[in-house]
Amino acid sequence: MAKEAVMAFIQCSGLMKTYTVGGEEVKALDNVSLTIEKGDFIAICGPSGSGKSTLANVVGGLDQPDEGSVVVDGIDLAKAKDKALSDYRNKQIGYVFQSFNLQSHETALENVISPLTVAGVGKKGERRDRGMKALERMGLADRAKHKPTQLSGGQRQRVAIARALVNDPQLIIADEPTGNLDSSRGADVINELKRLNAEGITLIIITHDVNVASQAKRIIEIKDGKIYEKAGAK
Amino acid sequence: MSFLDQFRTAWRNLSRQKLRTSLTIFAIVIGAVSVTVMLSLVTSTKGFLVSSAEQIGMDRSVIVTGLPGLGYRESQWNWPDGSGKRMDADSLALVEKIENVGSATLYINGGMFESFSFEGRDITMKNIQTESYTPNGTVKHILVAGDELSSSTNGSGLLISSNIAKDLGYKGNEQALIGKEILLRYRKDFGPPEAKKSDEAGKIIGVTSSDGQRLMSADLDWAIAMQTLTWTQKGPNGQTVTNTDSQIDRNGFGSIWVSVNDKKNVDAVMGEVKQLGFGAAAGKEEIDNQAVAFTIIGAILGGIGGIALLVAAVGVINTMVMATLERTREIGIMRAVGATKKTIRRLFRVEAGLLGFIGGLYGVIISFGFAFGLNQILNKQLSDSGIANRNLVSISPQVALVVLLITTLIGMLAGSLPARRAANMDPVEALRYE
Repeated sequence: MAKEAVMAFIQCSGLMKTYTVGGEEVKALDNVSLTIEKGDFIAICGPSGSGKSTLANVVGGLDQPDEGSVVVDGIDLAKAKDKALSDYRNKQIGYVFQSFNLQSHETALENVISPLTVAGVGKKGERRDRGMKALERMGLADRAKHKPTQLSGGQRQRVAIARALVNDPQLIIADEPTGNLDSSRGADVINELKRLNAEGITLIIITHDVNVASQAKRIIEIKDGKIYEKAGAK
Repeated sequence: MSFLDQFRTAWRNLSRQKLRTSLTIFAIVIGAVSVTVMLSLVTSTKGFLVSSAEQIGMDRSVIVTGLPGLGYRESQWNWPDGSGKRMDADSLALVEKIENVGSATLYINGGMFESFSFEGRDITMKNIQTESYTPNGTVKHILVAGDELSSSTNGSGLLISSNIAKDLGYKGNEQALIGKEILLRYRKDFGPPEAKKSDEAGKIIGVTSSDGQRLMSADLDWAIAMQTLTWTQKGPNGQTVTNTDSQIDRNGFGSIWVSVNDKKNVDAVMGEVKQLGFGAAAGKEEIDNQAVAFTIIGAILGGIGGIALLVAAVGVINTMVMATLERTREIGIMRAVGATKKTIRRLFRVEAGLLGFIGGLYGVIISFGFAFGLNQILNKQLSDSGIANRNLVSISPQVALVVLLITTLIGMLAGSLPARRAANMDPVEALRYE
């Protein structure tokens, strides 16, 4: 196991997480250790219930492990309080979900700037400008005032990516981002994400699509809470 | 999240569920209106009663009676029946000597008359009381028209209460009665049957506001004369014997009314009066009793309003719990993009507080409307008793503000539980929620 933790962007070690499902204990993470470097593009693969989402959630500060540590910039997320975790999610992480998870009553722009609103960043005008910039990057500037229901699936996912981008995060975690899209739109979304990774943003994609996984620099397979690293594209 | 953004979000979330929001607000409005109107009604009525009482010097008045232990009202209507100490010029002289007594008068109140002849009509009325006193400023009234009795108007000057004026056909036009003559007819059963009871002519010089009683006020000397009946009888030897009877001569007066020079000396004067062996009752005690009664009524009515608000608070809890369930996924998304538990908690609390605030605002506005309507009704009733329009129910800006504050706080408080529930949701679970 790599021990150059000082330099690593994210250092996970000895992660344990157990769920009780229907009276039965399921090990979602079983002594998982993982180092993520800046600029990495990691695909996490594995069957349903194998613990891929749990790993991503723990790395993304949305969930905390029962045991072990997740050290980012010298802070252990496993022990962090809500404020620090929320701040981490807000500033360092951008989430992209399979089901887009856009607020249906808000416009595309409002959705995009929600991380800024929630964190109380800047004035309304400044947030708007930053939101519009993120939408422009996704080629959706003309859809800013549309509600999610007025957008196609691909557009919705690109709005979600714009939202993930708006706070200039270091890491984007995409949980089955193409799961609800047809293959061509799915490919578009993956290309967008790859482009962002090329710009220096660390990228973790959870997928069971082999085509998607094969494009990653690192492929991590997870089975019964244990990880196995495979060679990636690079 | 800035407060403005929280407010915007809360407002938006409330607008998304218009019907539910309106119903919840409606309950708060009912609570707010009942609290506002009831409290305002009670405090303004109380204020009105106290100020009217002070206007006629009731707060400085002491009624001295021959019998100790009578309350203020009983003292007022006390009729001399020979029991207790005799109230007469001698007792008056004793009372007048007491320090701090501003003025005092002998007083008697009885029912000698039951009908009038007025403007050529015979008018019979039940329960007419005639009070009489020396018009030296001790006994005062709230006047609807004309003037008080005074030593210069002596003789047969008469004050009538506004409900008598109404019976005479002068409701709302009391001023026109001033200076008119009225014939007072004795009750048939007043005095011995053989006594001569010819009509007494009086001149109306003032109309007083009525508290329900048909009351005439007359100069004491005139009253003494009216009470004194004479009649002739055949004696045992066939000679004519002239009899005279006066209840006042026999039993003395009903009471002595005292006006103390300052409110703070009332207790001292009462003490002195009691030392003389008389009974004494203070007007201020009557005022205090009424004030206490109104405070109690206010507390009860306010309590009913409070219960209405409590029920409304349960409505807010219900609404907000529903909202947390409906918005589980939204909460998850907000948490994913970086909202802290505190932000979520505040968001729901602000939303609940907003429900309370809007409810309170509508409540206060409607209360002003209610007060206006209630005043129309009360003014009409007041004018029936001869009092000019008073707008009894006035909602003070302070009361309005306090109600607004209370409903907002109740909203926030009621929202606390659902807010905590929302904040403590596991974001991962929340995001998975369908």
